[in-house]
Amino acid sequence: MEPAKKIDHSHDEKTAKPKKNPKKPKKFLRKSTKEGLSGYLFMSPTIFTIGVFVIIPILYALYLSFNDVQLLGGIGYEFIGLDNYTRTIDDERALIALKNTAEYVLIVVPVQTCLALLLAAALNSNIRGKNAFRIIFFLPTVTSSAVLTIIFMWMYNPDGLINNFLQFLSLPTYNWLADPNIALKSIMIMNIWATAPFFMVIYLAAMQDISDSVYEAATIDGANWWQKFIYITIPILKPVTFFVVVMGVIGTFQLFDQSYIFSGGSGGPNNSTLTIVLLIYQYAFKSLDMGYASALAVVLAIIIMVVTLIQKKFFGEEKLHD
Amino acid sequence: MNKMLAAVGITGALFGTALVGCSSESSGEGSGDGGKTVVELAGWGASPEEEALLKETLDAFEEKHPDIDVKHEVIADQYMDVTKTRLVGGEAADVFYLDALDAPSLINTGVLEPLNDYVTEDFDVEDFEEPLLNAFKKDDTYYGFPKDFSTLSLFYDKAAFEEAGLEGPPKTWEELSEYAEKLTVDEDGDGQPERYGLGFSKELARQFYKFQPNGAQVVDEKGKADFASEEAIQALEPIVTMYQDDKTAGLPSDAGNEWGGDMFGQGNAAMVIEGNWTIPFLEDNFSNLDFTTAELPTINGENATAAFTVAYVMNEQSEVKDAAWELISFLTGKEGMEIWTSKGFALPTRKSVAENLGYEEDPLRSSFVAGASYAQPWQAGENLPIIMTNFDNQFISALLGEQTLEEALKKAEETANKEIEAAN
Repeated sequence: MEPAKKIDHSHDEKTAKPKKNPKKPKKFLRKSTKEGLSGYLFMSPTIFTIGVFVIIPILYALYLSFNDVQLLGGIGYEFIGLDNYTRTIDDERALIALKNTAEYVLIVVPVQTCLALLLAAALNSNIRGKNAFRIIFFLPTVTSSAVLTIIFMWMYNPDGLINNFLQFLSLPTYNWLADPNIALKSIMIMNIWATAPFFMVIYLAAMQDISDSVYEAATIDGANWWQKFIYITIPILKPVTFFVVVMGVIGTFQLFDQSYIFSGGSGGPNNSTLTIVLLIYQYAFKSLDMGYASALAVVLAIIIMVVTLIQKKFFGEEKLHD
Repeated sequence: MNKMLAAVGITGALFGTALVGCSSESSGEGSGDGGKTVVELAGWGASPEEEALLKETLDAFEEKHPDIDVKHEVIADQYMDVTKTRLVGGEAADVFYLDALDAPSLINTGVLEPLNDYVTEDFDVEDFEEPLLNAFKKDDTYYGFPKDFSTLSLFYDKAAFEEAGLEGPPKTWEELSEYAEKLTVDEDGDGQPERYGLGFSKELARQFYKFQPNGAQVVDEKGKADFASEEAIQALEPIVTMYQDDKTAGLPSDAGNEWGGDMFGQGNAAMVIEGNWTIPFLEDNFSNLDFTTAELPTINGENATAAFTVAYVMNEQSEVKDAAWELISFLTGKEGMEIWTSKGFALPTRKSVAENLGYEEDPLRSSFVAGASYAQPWQAGENLPIIMTNFDNQFISALLGEQTLEEALKKAEETANKEIEAAN
């Protein structure tokens, strides 16, 4: 009975307080609200920056996508409903861009994920000089993608390093830059080489988190190296793989700088390196057709969202750490 | 309460810095130091020699007009994208370069100042080569005056000609293809010549001049693409055959070169079709090369070549229009143009200046000057940028043999016209 009494008592006190002290409402903010407010105040610089540079542009782009925007010689907006969106269906270049981007995502994401996993597994074992290897493998990620692209373009030159090397091995050589069938693949190779190490570091960190006891138990049961990798490492890394794949898909869908530099902004040869973001750039800044460019950007955002949701279903609703 | 105050204080400070970061410096248009009028001039970059020559011209202008200060700015990359964006934002220069190719679309938007009211008797409009002047004219209104131009000529390697027992330049395209066959060198026989007979560029800008002598055209009266015709196929067939079947013509990229001048200079092609900007490039970088130029071979017995021209135009929003006109009229006037074209990087658009400089007698440049009288300016309505992109995209696949020339032209025309319709 005692505790109940106490509760009752305190309850009385609480309800009684306002009566005792009728001037309390003057301190108009409750403590929790006050703390919340100061929290928001601390966050306000960030909220302000995100608002100005992220939220407002997104809303504005949405608004633009429903308008025919006239920029040169007097700015004018004309509401045209969904016309910009229906135009994408008939736009052959948009379809080519979508096809190129999808091909790029479908090849680059699995390859770079597998490569990252293998590299991480190699570096997680007790080989000599693994720290040096970690640094060497990570270097491409540190390099600016524009610099990387230009260097690769030299190497891809018909008389360049790569063709010379292939010739030395008596393998067929390619016109890496100018052949429409090869150009996108050249960018793929370059990008896989540059991004895989970034995901490798993420895998490596997760692998070092896996408890040794699990492996020890498996060893006692007679599992070999390969079985441990397939049945222990990969399942435990599943949430990390989800993260790596999602980030990979988002990153590859947004391919722009490499194909821009490769083709000098044209998406050529023969539209083979034309990606959605490059197409958006061309419509926005070459044709100054902001309305249609915004509509394409919204379509891209929707595609990425849908693909991410599908992946979430595919990988299950697991959390990163349980 | 103290916590609250601190939060407010910190937030205020952060807001302050953020806002300071946002406020832009007011652009220094209008009057500059000491009451001088500042005129901004924007253009694309060029070789150091050309930059120096432009500076010399501008110095001469400032000497003559002590009250005007010219601020020259170079837009290094994507010139038209940058210029258009700046025009929208009201930040474009008072006077800027405009390629004939982009002139129709920009004139239609009304961002260029009509220049008729500024033109005086002294300026002597009649003196300009007419086709070049017309590139910047609409309904009798001038929107810009051409500063210089270049035509295309045939560059050929004299030593290679001697080696192959050839004398003088080919006179017709049929002859050219025979010459190219003799000049092609493929020592290891892998079908990838070490030296192509002819180096050429696949862009529409470098091919369109073949249309007219064959009775074909790039666009119709409505400005729509109109090159998927029997005549256009006839015009382009020879170069496709030379590339695909004979393997006597090659693109710069096939030889690992950036452009025709480089390809020619490095000995990867015995002949190239290029503009007069190639002359100083070759003289500077490949001084041992023994080359000369000739007028382009005739097509169906007709002379044909392309002309590329650039004008100075005035921003309609400029606040210093009178001073801007002073600058334009000097740069495109007889005095300024004579300084600017004195070294032969580009050719003068004024007949009197061309006469003064004597380019007609110059062994390397006479072919370019001769071409001016029959050259077709690279311009075809306001949709040319769209048409050009689609042509370039499809023509390369026809060259590579992925589709026939007929299919390629048809597809390019269809896609271009679809895009033009959607954009309007």
